[in-house]
Amino acid sequence: MSLLERIAHPNQAKVWYGEIPIQSRYTVGITGERFFREIKDNGRLWGTRCPHCDLVYIPPRLYCERCFAHLEEWVEVPTTGRVHTFTVVHLDLDGNPLPEPRIIAFIQIDGTDGGLIHDLGEVDPEEVCIGMCVEAVFKDPAERRGSITDIRYFRPVG
Amino acid sequence: MLREVAIVGAGWSGFRSISPDLSYKEMMYEAAVRAYEDAGIDPRRDVDSFVTVAEDFMEGTSIFDEYTPDQLGGALRPNHTITGDGIHGLAAAVMQILTGQFDLVVVEAHSKASNVLTFPHILAYAMDPVYNRPLAFHPYAIAGMEMRRYLAETATPLEACARVVVKNRANALFNPLAAHGANISVEAVLGSDMVAEPLTRLQCADHADGAIVLVVADGATARALTDRPIWIRGIGWANDTHTLESRPWGEASYAYLAAQMAYRTAGIKSPRAEIDFAEIDDTFAYKELQHLEALGFCRPGEAGLWTLEGGTEINGEFPVNPSGGSLGMGHLLDGSGLARVLEVIFQLRGEAGRHQVKDAEVGMAFAWRGVPTTSGAAVILSN
Ligand SMILES: [Zn+2]
Repeated sequence: MSLLERIAHPNQAKVWYGEIPIQSRYTVGITGERFFREIKDNGRLWGTRCPHCDLVYIPPRLYCERCFAHLEEWVEVPTTGRVHTFTVVHLDLDGNPLPEPRIIAFIQIDGTDGGLIHDLGEVDPEEVCIGMCVEAVFKDPAERRGSITDIRYFRPVG
Repeated sequence: MLREVAIVGAGWSGFRSISPDLSYKEMMYEAAVRAYEDAGIDPRRDVDSFVTVAEDFMEGTSIFDEYTPDQLGGALRPNHTITGDGIHGLAAAVMQILTGQFDLVVVEAHSKASNVLTFPHILAYAMDPVYNRPLAFHPYAIAGMEMRRYLAETATPLEACARVVVKNRANALFNPLAAHGANISVEAVLGSDMVAEPLTRLQCADHADGAIVLVVADGATARALTDRPIWIRGIGWANDTHTLESRPWGEASYAYLAAQMAYRTAGIKSPRAEIDFAEIDDTFAYKELQHLEALGFCRPGEAGLWTLEGGTEINGEFPVNPSGGSLGMGHLLDGSGLARVLEVIFQLRGEAGRHQVKDAEVGMAFAWRGVPTTSGAAVILSN
C-alpha cells in the first residue's frame, strides 16, 4: 500500500469549487436584551456585578466566570474608559489593503472589570497610547437599532 | 500515568504551500501508510481506535468527522473526531489507552489550507456574533492588540519578535519537510507590510498543506513493536475564557495551565533544567516569546532578551523550534500541534539530520489554536 502513481502535470490537477450559504439567528439572551435596549433607548451602558468576586461585567453576563454565581445585580457604568490595548489594522476581511486603516481597541470601561472592543475615531493612530482616556460616541437615537454598532466609535476625552 | 504510553510510529505527507496533486484524503492516506510502515503494523488488523482532529469550516464540509475513517484504515472501527488541535487528539488517544480498553490508537491531523479561499472570514465567523462580529474587522487585529499589550507589559523589544522569524525561517532551511525556509534580516521582517500594528506580514506564519499520522501504544505493546519508543511523559490542555472582553491580553494563561498539567503528570519541577528543547506555537512571532514565558522556560520579560542573545537557537542553551516552527514549516491549521510533535519525535530518535539538537532526551511540544481562541495543549516526550 502506497501511492504508486502521481499527477505529474498541473493541467491534470483538477479542482471543484463550492460555497456554503450559511445564515443564522443569534439570540442575544436576557443580559444582551437589556444591554442593547439601554444603548438603543438611552445611550447608556449597563453591566452586571458579582458580589462575591466584586467584579463588574461589561458586556453583562448572567453568571460569573470566576465563581459561577448567578448574577442579578445590574449597575449603570460610565460611557468612558481607557485604552487597554489597540492596533491599527491595515487589511479588510478579504485580506485586501484598507484605503483607510482602522484603529481597533479594547477599551476597559471605567468602574468595571470588562470593556468593549471597538473602533477609535477622531484621533490619529500616532496619538493613541495604552491608558488613553476615551468616551463612546453614539449614533443619533433615530439611527440606533440595538447593536454594538449603535456606538459609532470611541474618541479621546476632552 | 496509570499505564505507560508511547509513540511507536510517525508518518507525514507534505509540507508544501500548495498540494494540487493530492486530495486531503490522499494526503491522509500517504501519511498513514508511512506511519504504519514505521510502526510495523497493519491498521485493519492491529489498531483498536482512531482519533482525528478537524474543523468543519476549514474543510469546507459540514459534519466533517464522517469523512475521516476510510483513508486511515479506520472504517468499521471506533472513531473519535475532535474539533481541536492535533495535541488535543493525542491527549484523547492517551486517555483511551489509559482506560485499558485500547492498546494501539492512531491519531491524525491535516491541513489543506491552500484550498481555503476565505480564511479571514472563517476566523471572523469564530468571533462573538453579537458583540464583536458586527464590527467586521480582520481577525488578525486580535493578534495585533495582544502583541501590543504583551510587548508593553514585558518591555520586550520589537526586534526580539523579528529575531524569532529570522531564527525559525533559517532553521527551516535545514529541514527538508519545511515549506518556508529563508534567510531574512530583522530589518526585512520589521519593514514588511503592516497587517495589524505592530504585527507585520513576515511575523505571521504562512500556511502549508500536509498531514501527520501517529501510532500510539501502551508500554507493553510499544516494547513488542519497537526498541526505540518515544515515551509520552505528560500531557495537558487548558482554555482561558473565550470572551475578548475578559481575557488578560498580555499573558497566555492557557499555555501556563496546559504546561502545569503536563509537568504535574510528568513529575517535572524545573522545566528549563529537565527539558532539553521545545517545539512551541509561533503562529505569530510574538507568540513564541509569550509562550516560552507562560510555559515556564523563563520569566515574563526574559524571552525576548534570551532570543536576542541566541539562547533559543539550534546550538543555543535551549533550542526552540529547531524544525523552523510554523513560521518556517508553514502553519498547518489544526495539524500544527502534531507537526511540532513530529519534530520532537525526530529529535529524540536522532533522525533530525542537519537540524539535530545535541543530546536531545526530553522535549516539549505546545500548540495554540490561533485567533480568536485561548486554547492550548502541551505534551512532554522522552526517548
Ligand atoms: Zn464571582
